[in-house]
Amino acid sequence: MAEIKLKLKKEYEFPLEADTITPDAFAGKSAADIKKLTVYHGNEEKTIGDFFDVTGEGGELNEIKIIVDGNLSNVKRIGEKMSGGEIIINDNVGMHVGNNMSGGKILVNGSADDWAGAMLKGGELEITGDAGHYVGAAYRGNWKGMQNGLIKVKGKIGDEALTWVNGSKPAKRFPTLICGAAGSFLGIHSHGGTIIVEGDCDRCIGADQVRGTIVVKGKVARILPSYKKLGEVEEIELMNGDIIKGKFTEYSGDHSVEKNHSKIDKKTGEISNSSNGRLFVAA
Amino acid sequence: MSLNNLILITCRTINQGVALEGGKNTKENVRAAGICAFDSEDFKKLDCLVGTPVKVITDHGEVIVYSTISEEGPHPGIIFIPMGPWANQVVNPDSQACGTPTYKGMKAGVEVIQSGKVLDAVGLISLLKEA
Amino acid sequence: MVAKKIRTVTDVICPFCGTLCDDLEVDIDIKEEKVIEVRNGCQIGTKKYFASNPSDHRYDKPLIKEKGSFKEVSWDEAIDKAANILIKAKRPLLYGFSSTECEAQGKGVELAEILGSILDNTASVCHGPSLLAIQDVGAPTSTLGEYKNRADLIIFWGSNPVHAHPRHLSRYSDFIRGYFRKDGRNDRFIVVVDPRNTHTAQIADIHVQINPSEDYELINAIRAILRGVEIDADEISGVPIEKVKELVETMKSCNFGVIFFGMGLTQTLSHHRNIDAAICLVRELNDHTKFLLTPMRGHYNVAGANQVFSWQTGYSYSIDFSRGYPRYNPGEFSSVDVLMRDEIDASLIVASDPASNFPAASVKNMFKYPLIVIEPHHTPTSVNADIILPPAIAGIECEGTAYRMDSVPLRLRKVKEAPGECLTDKEILEKLIEAVKKKKGE
Repeated sequence: MAEIKLKLKKEYEFPLEADTITPDAFAGKSAADIKKLTVYHGNEEKTIGDFFDVTGEGGELNEIKIIVDGNLSNVKRIGEKMSGGEIIINDNVGMHVGNNMSGGKILVNGSADDWAGAMLKGGELEITGDAGHYVGAAYRGNWKGMQNGLIKVKGKIGDEALTWVNGSKPAKRFPTLICGAAGSFLGIHSHGGTIIVEGDCDRCIGADQVRGTIVVKGKVARILPSYKKLGEVEEIELMNGDIIKGKFTEYSGDHSVEKNHSKIDKKTGEISNSSNGRLFVAA
Repeated sequence: MSLNNLILITCRTINQGVALEGGKNTKENVRAAGICAFDSEDFKKLDCLVGTPVKVITDHGEVIVYSTISEEGPHPGIIFIPMGPWANQVVNPDSQACGTPTYKGMKAGVEVIQSGKVLDAVGLISLLKEA
Repeated sequence: MVAKKIRTVTDVICPFCGTLCDDLEVDIDIKEEKVIEVRNGCQIGTKKYFASNPSDHRYDKPLIKEKGSFKEVSWDEAIDKAANILIKAKRPLLYGFSSTECEAQGKGVELAEILGSILDNTASVCHGPSLLAIQDVGAPTSTLGEYKNRADLIIFWGSNPVHAHPRHLSRYSDFIRGYFRKDGRNDRFIVVVDPRNTHTAQIADIHVQINPSEDYELINAIRAILRGVEIDADEISGVPIEKVKELVETMKSCNFGVIFFGMGLTQTLSHHRNIDAAICLVRELNDHTKFLLTPMRGHYNVAGANQVFSWQTGYSYSIDFSRGYPRYNPGEFSSVDVLMRDEIDASLIVASDPASNFPAASVKNMFKYPLIVIEPHHTPTSVNADIILPPAIAGIECEGTAYRMDSVPLRLRKVKEAPGECLTDKEILEKLIEAVKKKKGE
């Protein structure tokens, strides 16, 4: 195991964009080489060595474990596009942590700012505190957001998590979010995401959901009018085959969104919910 | 007297538009934008005359403006301040990470004040500089 | 022959709101170079012309603040000081641009790129959410002339044109007679969705009084009903379900419908998600009839700022040049958010008054750092600035291009000379670019 320790040694005035702090960039580099990697501070180009003490050495990608210490609350883009290895962040971290990552693991021992795990393609992001808005969301204008992987947030997340999430059963892609509580517009435009909320949710969850499963174990502020109540269930099968037990009220929707496999029979008005979006709220 | 659990909305009025083009440090601007319009029933509960200065309080700040009765009522429970320096003392600066602050729909309370006056635009904003 | 005392300029484009009325007539006193009469304009546009006359509200020389009071200086000195501030800054903010013409906006982009700054226009506090939604789900839209000639159902959702776009109703949307709408107002059905019974609602056929900040649920319900879903609720967002169904029928049965939406959708809690849903609604309505939507843009050239920024950087607002190339993310690089997080260290404001229009907490942070304004009038921003560079007012004292709310470019006209030493916005920005380049040794 190649362990590399980064410790913040200097206060930064402006957001520090450290998209080079990834196992991919550190692989095969010595501490001296790592210090030379670029970070952006305001409109200046600096190096990791200007802001961090670096100890250890990078080995093979999947063996690398990066530990980052210090006040990182405005250090952005740690773990961007990483494909393997592990990062442990021992503080609150700034925006875009682990965006576009496709493999490996990030553990944030603290809270994360907005866009944590945006457009995740694989791997695992765990946050022990809260997270900001747009957790695992699609970047502006993207029609395919998070495509695979797992995001776990112990605390509350902000608004619009997992927008345009895109999962697929045949392709075995199961993008999943597990969080303590959530803000509004959770899983908007979902195309096959799995979201499990241990606590309460704000309004408009599952808006424009085409496919996907949302499970809320607490209360929901307001369920959208376009959701149809189907009945009570005792057991939920998630897309990846996992089972959740408990008493839930099942809803189907969002019925306001046009689907190419329309589930409402125009003559009888009956709704089939076989592959439609599903919402479960604790009864 | 005071009122609670109101919802504050800010938006454009033609007088505010004329005043902002005509000079932002004028009295005209204060009369156009340094006001708070109430539903007529709500205003009765305040038990004061039209034009009495009132303090509008939200989670994000407070501001003293002149009270007036809305021409665009009835809208019970909703108060209205034209957009401008006065409204911006009490709006919600949080944009939910989309860039645009939430200028409308804040929970607000109003109280009739004993002392204090309505400042003009420059005076009000310049307080932010000194602070 | 008597010497002419008055010069009349006709077909003037009004540089106030996004409606860009193009039929103003302005009389100028030749000797004093003052506006003495404006015909056809609305109250606000007329006022803007009169306010351009020299007065104690108008700057006509560059000013620098020294020990708390302003001192008149030469252009060279003011530009030199401004360039020094901008070069020293590591994260400057360039904001405004919506009340000036497109050529100046282009120069603004150039300056931002050289400085590696954040570049933003006023869309970030008004119709930015509309742009976000359009990027997500597209936008079925058209020019205003189509609405004038064809539309028989007009919906104003969260906008109040009587106050904000005073001549919109009479020129494009309501009272105007069109090719297929020969009887004007009588041939059109007007719906207003607003929490207040606004003056626009008072002249409409239906006013849908909705609870504040609950627009999303109503649009969502309309979309569901449109697709034949039975909704088991008595009311939605404060509107009785019968009334919602009636509204859906009205929408489906029109020949040509249009939704004009304003700040009521973009500045409430759901921001761009409201617009997202509204666009999807319009898209689905096109299964039944012809339906379009158009944002009611506020500043006369905010649409132009979005156009110029888009064609030069790829993004319409909230752009960050700090890494040398443009990046875009409202919420991260938008002015109010960077100010709220106290991330900038100098700002250049072009033709805007953020001190009046931003939430107080963000203004406080803006005032902490050097502030340069290019602004013709005394405003709460300029009064608290460190350097004031007085421009000629675009559309009155200089020519240029502006984009109407439906993104139709129109050529602004010059009706009179600028007072004092005023230069155009474009010339000022060019001088700044030159000075910055020189100091950077490029």
